[in-house]
Amino acid sequence: MCYNIRVNVHLKPLGKFLLIDLLGSIAWFPVWWYTIGLKRQAIKAVKSLQYRYQAYGFRIWIRNFFVPMYGQYDIGGRAISILMRFVVLVGRSIALVVEALVLMLGVALWASAPALFLLFALTNLSKGLFMDQIKFLLG
Amino acid sequence: MDENKPIEAIVCKACGGEPRLSAQCKVCGGAGIGVASTDGFLVWEERVDEFMIMLRKARRQINAFFHLALLAIVLIFLSLFAWQVSKLEDLTGLRTIAFWFSGHWYVTLFWFACFIGTFLIFRLSEYSSESKDLPNWGKTHRQLEQEEKSAAKKALFRFDVAPYFSPAARDVVESAYNLAKKLQRTEVTPQTLFAAALASPSGGIFMVRLGMQFDAVKGPITNVLMADDAGNPPVHLSRDAKKVLSLAYADARANQRRHVEVMEIFLQAFKNSPKIQDLLDQLGFPPEHVVHVGEWIRLRSKLKEDHDRFQALAALKPKNTMNRAMTAQQTPLLDRFSEDLTLLARNGYIAPVIGRKKQMEEMLRGIESGRRSLVLVGEPGSGKTALVEELARMMVEENVPPELFDKRLVSVNIAQVVAAGDPGMAAERFLSLMHEVGVSGNIVLVMNNIESLTGAGLSGPMDLAEMLASELDKGYLLAICTTTPQAWTRYIERRSLANKLIKINIPETDYEETIKVLMARSGLIEYENKVYFSYAALDKAAALSERFVHEKASPERALDIIREAAVLARKSRGEKTFVSADDVAKVVHEKTNIPVESMTTSETSKLMNLEQKLHERVIGQDEAVRAVARALKRARAELREGKRPIANFLFLGPTGVGKTELTKALAAEYFGSEEAMVRLDMSEYQDKASVYRVIGAPGDDRGGLLTEAVRNKPYTIVLLDELEKAHPDILTLFLQVMDDGRLTDGVGRTVDFTNVMLIATSNAGTQFIQDEVSKNVPLEKIKSGLLENELKGIFRPEFLNRFDGVIVFKPLTMDDVNQIAWLMINGIAKRLAEKGMNFRAEDAAVEELAKEGFDPLYGARPLRRVIQERVDTALADLMLQGQVGRKDTLILEPGGNIRVEKAPQL
Repeated sequence: MCYNIRVNVHLKPLGKFLLIDLLGSIAWFPVWWYTIGLKRQAIKAVKSLQYRYQAYGFRIWIRNFFVPMYGQYDIGGRAISILMRFVVLVGRSIALVVEALVLMLGVALWASAPALFLLFALTNLSKGLFMDQIKFLLG
Repeated sequence: MDENKPIEAIVCKACGGEPRLSAQCKVCGGAGIGVASTDGFLVWEERVDEFMIMLRKARRQINAFFHLALLAIVLIFLSLFAWQVSKLEDLTGLRTIAFWFSGHWYVTLFWFACFIGTFLIFRLSEYSSESKDLPNWGKTHRQLEQEEKSAAKKALFRFDVAPYFSPAARDVVESAYNLAKKLQRTEVTPQTLFAAALASPSGGIFMVRLGMQFDAVKGPITNVLMADDAGNPPVHLSRDAKKVLSLAYADARANQRRHVEVMEIFLQAFKNSPKIQDLLDQLGFPPEHVVHVGEWIRLRSKLKEDHDRFQALAALKPKNTMNRAMTAQQTPLLDRFSEDLTLLARNGYIAPVIGRKKQMEEMLRGIESGRRSLVLVGEPGSGKTALVEELARMMVEENVPPELFDKRLVSVNIAQVVAAGDPGMAAERFLSLMHEVGVSGNIVLVMNNIESLTGAGLSGPMDLAEMLASELDKGYLLAICTTTPQAWTRYIERRSLANKLIKINIPETDYEETIKVLMARSGLIEYENKVYFSYAALDKAAALSERFVHEKASPERALDIIREAAVLARKSRGEKTFVSADDVAKVVHEKTNIPVESMTTSETSKLMNLEQKLHERVIGQDEAVRAVARALKRARAELREGKRPIANFLFLGPTGVGKTELTKALAAEYFGSEEAMVRLDMSEYQDKASVYRVIGAPGDDRGGLLTEAVRNKPYTIVLLDELEKAHPDILTLFLQVMDDGRLTDGVGRTVDFTNVMLIATSNAGTQFIQDEVSKNVPLEKIKSGLLENELKGIFRPEFLNRFDGVIVFKPLTMDDVNQIAWLMINGIAKRLAEKGMNFRAEDAAVEELAKEGFDPLYGARPLRRVIQERVDTALADLMLQGQVGRKDTLILEPGGNIRVEKAPQL
């Protein structure tokens, strides 16, 4: 085989594949999950919150807080407008906070998922029933 | 990053980039060659050989298998759990925490399934995609600027580009390796990469667009590959191939692509392989065509990516006329007379604009500079509306200066506003509209063709321009107006409205820009007509429209042509066909009457036989016939300069020797019919004022006799009869026509004369010609005598100098007149044949006529009179007396006698 002379050249990628890609990934999994993976989820959550923030038009509404709605420049119109803007802003803020909470929950779930799942699985396993029942099942 | 800046590659000093040496080189780590970039020093470090190819394949398969196995385990565990739960009699236990920690085997399996599920998510997001995303993919302008700043630090490190190649691009590199090995070459060169890219699916699309047949190029490309060094394995990536791969990465980065795709390898391999460039050029695919098609394919996928981003942002823009701050008011009157461009853009009805970056920046700068409105000045079709529409798209994305934020772009239909006819009413309506715009406060007005506000083209004192000027002065509204350069000069420039507007010139697009616009817009036309454009069609449309179509500006005229060509192709060949360059040429031909198609065999033979055909009609003027035929051949073979008429000829000679006849013969033979000419008898243009008859009086939209005729029929002969009689000012006009191939008419329209054959005839110097001919002086000498002495007082030297040929028609000899007599007799025979009678003449009779009609002073004209009197009159008598019927034969005998041979009775 003509590969023999370049064994050291090829060992590296092969070893990298076997050790890092397949076996190493098991060790890499928790590290990845709590660094890159978590960061990715957090960014995703922040981005979708930003999009919601944009969609609610907070900046526009705050900037135009005292500008009457529908061009009603009379005092009554202004008063109603300010009131409406206040109500809408409060309403949207609440909505945004709820959305933020939901998103945070999502990130928290991501962070806790593997650890909790493993913990629960091991707790169940530690009860000792598993092997007996499996044996029973197989038997 | 400047896309046009050539990127230099840097070669490793230690190993010189030589593939075998660099494999062991400690300095470059095997890279050999690389390219400096913001991301670092771009190198291709990965080895490409059988083992690596196999490993990549195996890796893909093992990973897929591993993921499937994990998924199967998760599913089995969950199924077992569900199965056990379904067997439970009392499901209330599920709600207790105790159940989930009961230790039952199936609960344990459930938790394990969840855990393995998270592992699977990790595996899929980290290991299923084979290629990494480019670092600048999907980043905003600001993020990119910051990255550029830290570039100096990164540039010190090597940056392996291989992981950023898409799987398809990897396949191309590997198949290039396999190809080199199969052909027993020692190196993978840019040529090999090009061949491999061409054989890939993306290469297939490329070839289809370019109109290239794989079988036709396969052989020649293999020959080029075989010219590379031969040898046994191992096969290395050559220095240039590595350079190509690094440049492909740089290219993908400059174009903000997600991965390095096949097209990047393809383009860079092509640009870095002079051999392939030469080869394809030889096969009829010039390098710029190849690059354009590659860019076209890339542009299409980029437009798709842009579209997705636009959709996401458009969802934020309000669906109705209310702005997001809700400060706006209803504008019922305005809505009646206008169209909301932002709304149209939001709903996806407006296509993006390609190019025009400079003008767009100018527009935005104008808007940002303060509360001053804009006017876009450009020829119809130069893309003013498209630019305004692009602004609407940018407003939808809110990618605009604060002045335009949360506003809508509304295009007012001025024609409808002023349609009241009553100036008072129009003014009232206009003010009401302005009022609505003012109170609403979220409207940017677009007014196309503002010259209609000044009452241009309308009768009566309808002038709203001053009104608009004063409204703009108040500063509550921002308007974007459009107009044409002529209208700007004529109606607006000297008025107060002009001072309120920032003028932005929108020039026509040049060939390169037009091609880009066609590439971007062809997608929609393809979709509507269910046809596909070949690159040759777009190229032809851009080139021909620029040269032959002058009613509109580029790019609109080119777009019109490809639209029509698409319909033509669909109608003639059905759906799913390709629009070829010939379809485009056909459309241009029909529009302009200029034969622009590639020459057919019948046309070629017509052209080759033109001289002979002309000889059949014009007797004794060999030199003239030859010169004219040659000029036309040059014109059709596209060898002439594009900026002048096909040819400018001055025919000199006595009357009746065939000057006009040759022109007519040419019109009939080549331009379709004897009438295919614009004939001006210059004796009608003897005074100074007649200039206006030629080009039209200033401001008169009807134009001049000559300019209008040529504008409507650009492919024609212009015959200026008896040129010496024209006023000198008119001759000055033709100086420009002969030199630049264009003439500006009274209203400022430039009329194209480059497809015209200009022929002027003159009797000047007749006496001199006759005298010299009788002295047997050679024609060449007569000509120089004419130019140097005789014509000096009549035509200015610079005028004579502009003719491609001054052709002297010599007086007719007796022999010539004899031949002409025969031609005329044959003409009579033809006319009689139409009436069902045969006619022939005896030789002596014709000779007699020729002798009678010969007059060295008047050429062939007396002959015509003689034949009319002797033959035509006699024939008319016979017919009126009823002595001749159908199928009878008439014979002309000497002495002018006509004998009737009755046809045998049936």
